[in-house]
Amino acid sequence: MLKYFDPQRDIDHGKDYGTPPVITVAAARGIDQQSRELVTVNIDGQEITVPAGTSILRAAALADINIPKLCATDSVEPFGSCRVCLVEIEGRKGFPASCTTPVEAGLVIRTQNEDIARLRKNVLELYISDHPLDCLTCPANGDCELQDVAGEVGLREVRYGFEGSSHLSAVKDTSNPYFDFDPAKCIVCSRCVRACAEVQGTFALTIEGRGFDSKVVAGQAQDFMSSDCVSCGACVQACPTATLIENTIIDEGQPEHRVVTTCAYCGVGCAFEAELKGDQIVRMSPHKGGEANRGHSCVKGRFAFGYATHSDRVTKPMIRQSRSDPWQQVSWDEAIEFAADKIRSIQETYGKDSVGGITSSRCTNEETYLVQKLVRAAFGNNNVDTCARVCHSPTGYGLKTTLGESAGTQSFDSIEKADVVMVIGANPTDAHPVFASRLKKRLRQGAKLIIADPRGIDLVKGPHVAAQAHLKLLPGTNVALVNAMAHVILAEGLHASGFIEARCEMPAFEAWKSFISEPRNSPEAMAEVTGIPAIQIRDAARMYATANNGAIYYGLGVTEHSQGSTMVMGIANLAMLTGNLGREGVGVNPLRGQNNVQGACDMGSFPHELPGYRHVSDDGVRKKFEAHWGVAIDAEPGLRIPNMLDAAVSGTFKGLYCQGEDIAQSDPDTRHVEAALGNLECLIVQDIFLNETAKYAHVFLPGASFLEKDGTFTNAERRVSPVRKVMAPLSGKADWEGTAALSNALGYEMNYNHPSEIMDEIAALTPTFSGITYQRLAAEGSIQWPCTKEQPNGTPTMHVDSFVRGKGYFAVTEYVATDEKVNKRFPFLLTTGRILSQYNVGAQTRRTANTDWHDRDLLEVHPHDAEDRGIVDGDLVQVKSRAGDTVLTARVTARVQPGVLYTTFHHPDSGANVVTTDNSDWATNCPEYKVTAVQISKVIDTSDWQRSHRQFSDTQLGLLKNAVEPV
Amino acid sequence: MSTRELDHLIKMINQIADNIAIGEDEEIAASKVSDHLNRFWARSMRAMIVAYANGEIVAQESNRLNPIAQRATAQIQITAAQP
Repeated sequence: MLKYFDPQRDIDHGKDYGTPPVITVAAARGIDQQSRELVTVNIDGQEITVPAGTSILRAAALADINIPKLCATDSVEPFGSCRVCLVEIEGRKGFPASCTTPVEAGLVIRTQNEDIARLRKNVLELYISDHPLDCLTCPANGDCELQDVAGEVGLREVRYGFEGSSHLSAVKDTSNPYFDFDPAKCIVCSRCVRACAEVQGTFALTIEGRGFDSKVVAGQAQDFMSSDCVSCGACVQACPTATLIENTIIDEGQPEHRVVTTCAYCGVGCAFEAELKGDQIVRMSPHKGGEANRGHSCVKGRFAFGYATHSDRVTKPMIRQSRSDPWQQVSWDEAIEFAADKIRSIQETYGKDSVGGITSSRCTNEETYLVQKLVRAAFGNNNVDTCARVCHSPTGYGLKTTLGESAGTQSFDSIEKADVVMVIGANPTDAHPVFASRLKKRLRQGAKLIIADPRGIDLVKGPHVAAQAHLKLLPGTNVALVNAMAHVILAEGLHASGFIEARCEMPAFEAWKSFISEPRNSPEAMAEVTGIPAIQIRDAARMYATANNGAIYYGLGVTEHSQGSTMVMGIANLAMLTGNLGREGVGVNPLRGQNNVQGACDMGSFPHELPGYRHVSDDGVRKKFEAHWGVAIDAEPGLRIPNMLDAAVSGTFKGLYCQGEDIAQSDPDTRHVEAALGNLECLIVQDIFLNETAKYAHVFLPGASFLEKDGTFTNAERRVSPVRKVMAPLSGKADWEGTAALSNALGYEMNYNHPSEIMDEIAALTPTFSGITYQRLAAEGSIQWPCTKEQPNGTPTMHVDSFVRGKGYFAVTEYVATDEKVNKRFPFLLTTGRILSQYNVGAQTRRTANTDWHDRDLLEVHPHDAEDRGIVDGDLVQVKSRAGDTVLTARVTARVQPGVLYTTFHHPDSGANVVTTDNSDWATNCPEYKVTAVQISKVIDTSDWQRSHRQFSDTQLGLLKNAVEPV
Repeated sequence: MSTRELDHLIKMINQIADNIAIGEDEEIAASKVSDHLNRFWARSMRAMIVAYANGEIVAQESNRLNPIAQRATAQIQITAAQP
């Protein structure tokens, strides 16, 4: 029988094939994947054809001959240490390990005979002679590969006995809050060490000692918590025994069923198997079939799910007349009626445009779609916005203008083919950790790295990864940098003339060319502005332009500036100039912040756009929606979040429906946001916790976590992935049901039985989603939009033959310095960002053990500046801008440049956004979080704002605690 | 209307004028600015900036619009607020 292997059809993601597919091996060795040949071997009488380079172990597993193994697993390269997967090859001596022996044409292989059986049994005897025999009470019971293999080889006795030296009394390390390390159960297979190195790329684990003394250690023989370990859990997942095991499994035992779903943290959008007992999650395991994460995860996605059942969850609808009143718990019907009455009466008094809504980038596409539909159809205006306003709205504007579509151009898989990677204003190891691991893997294979960041992020220099160039620019000078790079590429003739002539608008290119070629855009002229020596810019430009495949990945360090949109266009210009678009390995890749921020934008959350990025003034598009929705849609753009807040302070905007968003913490100039929220006559907040915004609310609708509803999320690579309900909504309603109820109460009917019906409506009205259905998502796992008649299987790589807008457009990107400049009063530049263990406003991660890594926000100060001001580590430091001041704890570190400060905004008490200003991107109003001129000084107490915020917060939590229950 | 709201609008339109049409002559630049406002600004915001440009806002200090922004305001579409 000849078995021909088809990777699309024949891979079972629930099975361990022992060694990775050969593609990974080939790529790692720099072999062109396309030219690999197929090889046929005979295993136990079966002929199987596999790609050359495949291990015998994997080839056998593909034919469902499952050779026992211990040190091999298909997430890491083979190692050949356990000697269990031995086979016999006709005409060859000895018994080679099948994991490290590649197939060769014509090999005749036996996986089982008397000799092999005895050898394997003997190996197991040795292992078990130094292993506790507590299988029945062991937490790995039911999921132990050592136990399985002992069973497979028929181990019946241990002739060596259990006396003498052993590792049985080795001490357990329980320092990590999520997993234990029990070295007494370790078989030193090195799977954890290899997973840490190959999959995660942290190299925190190693084998110390030799022979009998060999043992796994973290860091410099430290405990896990004090080592470099980032708690991604790859080692725990790789461990074949109970040595590294989740505490939830120790406490609760093995799961009894699994549901594939999508992570609700960052924009990487990892696929997970939620592993459950009944409706209780016992483990989140990254799904090997997940195309965004390929079986990997980070500390947030894998471990930080406890918030979903945290005691802070508010699960009852509540109302109150004023924010000084105690909350009243009411039925859903009563809360909805109360909210609808308020909205109606506000609109009667102040006009139709006096209310609006904010959609959530953490909710599903279907929910986001419904909120914007409610605003447009039931409120009757376009006052709808989403948190992308404060993160990637410039990406939408910039990429739409230059390339024609408001989204990244590649799949995450594309990184495997990149030769030069430029990371601008992004910190992937902290904010997009799984992508960072995939990037680091490619870097270890030899790809080069350019980093443009004011701060020394971890990628600049890490284990086996170092940036060839770190362009330490001053905050706010991105455009000057990207212009200077383009100047060099043109001046040195490194541009892709053929690509430009074939693919781009030539008049625009010529105009841009004469602009960019002006001497004032040269690196020499820009050196003083950017703070980067000209030669460094020249070298980086050459490196990017001469790469076979040059890829740009960028984050909020690009967008959250007064010239955010200009910079996005500058990046697109650079990619077009060098022909780095339209194939794998290249592209312009925004790393989106929140799990569904791409989806929220796609679903028409912006006040000027209907779903699919189509302007509300387009009569044809509006008519299509009007016909389907049975209501007239306003042809005028509505208010964006900052405009809503301004209008609220002015008194013309009176009512807001805010779903799953915490603008009181996340938006800039907190005191202005608080003043605006305080001025609203009706604030409806739908959330899983009483967040900072909800403390100003009149109506609280209890939200549902991602585990409590069906739907879809769309990640940064435009991948639409299913979110699946694994437990009933704690409040009785999923978020989409709450929105529909509110709409119905307002007199605009929404009748959906299931989110799949909402997706059907989205697909019917949005060309780029036209081929997407729940049935297809169930069958195919995920689909990348555009999914149309022309691209029925979705679109991993955009702009392949032509740009979505037709010809690419080179926009002139003049550098205009921000108004936010340092001066005598405010001599420092403050920039803000994120950290690995926490997520955005921290509402979720602060309610997990992730706070063990980051229990408060710190202010990073350069040692010179610290010395100047007499600041030492741990001092309280006042940070004061023209907007406000707050007090943070100092961390003195050379990670930041002199004159630059850095902090995070994960904890509400920090008040990082009390300091950020009302400056914003010229095109989109995206706030300039990344540049605030500040003064710092050592103080002994918290700020006035912090004290009044604490008091207000305590009062509101008191009102929640004393909520009046229904009679 | 708060002065802050108006201040923001003035700052925003000046910023748009500074960024959107570099090197273009004033007429083209002004039309790009007004087109941007027509596409992205709500009607209330457009009405307010036009009133400001026309000196209709009481107690207004000297006009802070830059020349392109001032010129753009002549081409901004004004539509009545929804009832």
